[in-house]
Amino acid sequence: MRILLAEDDPLLGDGLRAGLRQLDFQVDWVRDGAAAERELRGGAYAAAVLDLGLPRLDGLDVLAAVRRAGVAVPVLVLTARDTVPERIRGLDAGADDYVVKPVDLHELAARLRALVRRAHGQPQERLAAQDVELDPAGRTVRKAGRPVPLSTREFDLLHALMLNAGRVLSREQLEQHLYRWGQEVESNAVEVHIHHLRRKLGTALIQTVRGVGYLMARELPAGSRSGAGIR
Amino acid sequence: MNAPASPPSPRARRTLLAGGRGNAAPGGRRARSLQARLLALVLGVVAAVWAAAAALTWIDVRDELDELLDGHLAQAAALLVAQQVRDLGEDDGGRHHDDDHGVDAPSLHRYAPQAAFQVFHEGRLALRSASAPARPMAATRAGFSTVTIDGEAWRVFAARGAERDVQVYVGERARSRASILRAVMGGMLWPMGVALPLLGLAAGWAVHRGLAPLRRLGRLLAARRAAALDPVALDATPAEIAPVVDALNGLFERVGALLESERRFTADAAHELRTPIAAIRTQAQVALAEADDARRRHALQGTLAGCDRATRLVEQLLTLARLEASDAPALHDVDLGALVRGVLADAAPAALARAQALELDAAPGCVVAGEPTLLAVLARNLVDNAMRYSPRGARIAVRAARDAGGRVALEVDDSGPGLAQPEIDRLGERFFRIAGTEASGSGLGWSIARRIAAVHGATLDAQRSQRLGGLAVRVRFA
Repeated sequence: MRILLAEDDPLLGDGLRAGLRQLDFQVDWVRDGAAAERELRGGAYAAAVLDLGLPRLDGLDVLAAVRRAGVAVPVLVLTARDTVPERIRGLDAGADDYVVKPVDLHELAARLRALVRRAHGQPQERLAAQDVELDPAGRTVRKAGRPVPLSTREFDLLHALMLNAGRVLSREQLEQHLYRWGQEVESNAVEVHIHHLRRKLGTALIQTVRGVGYLMARELPAGSRSGAGIR
Repeated sequence: MNAPASPPSPRARRTLLAGGRGNAAPGGRRARSLQARLLALVLGVVAAVWAAAAALTWIDVRDELDELLDGHLAQAAALLVAQQVRDLGEDDGGRHHDDDHGVDAPSLHRYAPQAAFQVFHEGRLALRSASAPARPMAATRAGFSTVTIDGEAWRVFAARGAERDVQVYVGERARSRASILRAVMGGMLWPMGVALPLLGLAAGWAVHRGLAPLRRLGRLLAARRAAALDPVALDATPAEIAPVVDALNGLFERVGALLESERRFTADAAHELRTPIAAIRTQAQVALAEADDARRRHALQGTLAGCDRATRLVEQLLTLARLEASDAPALHDVDLGALVRGVLADAAPAALARAQALELDAAPGCVVAGEPTLLAVLARNLVDNAMRYSPRGARIAVRAARDAGGRVALEVDDSGPGLAQPEIDRLGERFFRIAGTEASGSGLGWSIARRIAAVHGATLDAQRSQRLGGLAVRVRFA
């Protein structure tokens, strides 16, 4: 899961980036408000952690600007501003969650997962499609109740597809989910990972929409229940 | 004259000082109640005026009385002389005097013993009143005198006939004059004596009424909560209390500003400590979960760096808090050049580590009135900031000199990136941080420097450095 971290404090930013990476997030770190706004408008993030006291552009202004621009990325505000009016202002400006420093890394990760889940209309922590079940917190995947070992990239790819079940994702979109800045993207990496996922989880799980991208159906095409439909 | 212990007095005192709770103001005895004081003054002045009036009346009446009665004495003496001379003329040689009884005139009135007369003819007592002694009443032959007869003071007028040897004495007891005087004065004084207590009561009531606004103010203050710092408002503030109320309101305002600044400071401090603490916590958590040795070391070093930063922040906060709480420090003559040299010597190792060049240009005799410790903190903050916000290899030039006007100035120039005007304008804001810097400053250094400058009556300003291109900070002493 790719996360944007906007934090001007070098030590805290470094720690958050390292900690979230330990928890298998792909983290891009920006240090001022203008950069945060630019990156959020780019739109490739599953969620963002936004400090409010940012130089050049205050976090609240960033939030208001990207919300005005129609950016729906879930944003978790992480700030030292702890008064109730400040919390209210933050949430009203478009924050999806408001956390006061300091925060436990695991809690931060859980909140981010919850934000992403809700943003994709998933009511449950575990994602399910067909007979495959994905646990974002435990980072485990089961097929028909049996655990299937996946690499980090395979897991992230499957997570992205399952979050967007019923929607076609382009190769570029999937790449953005997988790679943070400065990571070399192999030209056919997505195809390779899709191939591996199909081998491990069955060929029917992920469908190729030629010339457009990839699609995961919630239910098998010949499933007993009617699917949620294409969103 | 003491004020009568009229009933309103003690109660008024209690009400007036109800806010004080204790019996005496700290560090001093409690003054008499204003009411008692006013009452004592009013009654004292009235009594003094009355006393003066009485004394003047006494003198006046006594003089008038003396004049009148002396006139009567002289008149009576003249009559007696005239009478004797005529009698002697009519009975020339033919009449002889009887024995001593014959000379006594009858006592005609019950007040007669108060007066006496004697008529001597050729040295012999010819006639006398019943109250008169046999010997001449006075030693003098003519005019007034005051003599003592049988232990009592008499006023005596002596007169003598022109041809015959007739000597007349007319006397009057001095006591009778005094008793007239006493009667007159008594008639005047006793209504005064009766009026004074009544006047005291009336004045007490009036003073009590007059002091009502003061008591109202006292009640208003006593009823205030400790945290209430809004201005005191009386319905109609008398001119005499207005300065007190104004001063109180001014005090409330200042206390309020102080409390507000304290509150803001605490909030700011708590707020500002959250980020370093969050960094420490996060780095520690990363280190705990990290399997890779190099990355764990990095996180642990981050934890330490966070602790150092939090410590520095706390120190700066404390410095600032002390500075804001303190008033004017004791100022001594401080050689700015020597002081800055010491500060630069302390900073040299850190500068060396960052390959930054420190330069000092201190003119001799740059003596300012200052507090050495605070001035060192000021200089250290400026040098520290210059080093912190300049890259490796930068030049930092410190100069202490007198300007054309003879004012001592301390200047710190650096060859760093400098600041744009909007950022310079925001420098004074507490916790304002420069954007895009790796340096982990809190922005408190500038607040501290500015506060120290203010304490010394010096001005602090920043601009683009003409010499080195970075930031130039200048402290100009008065």
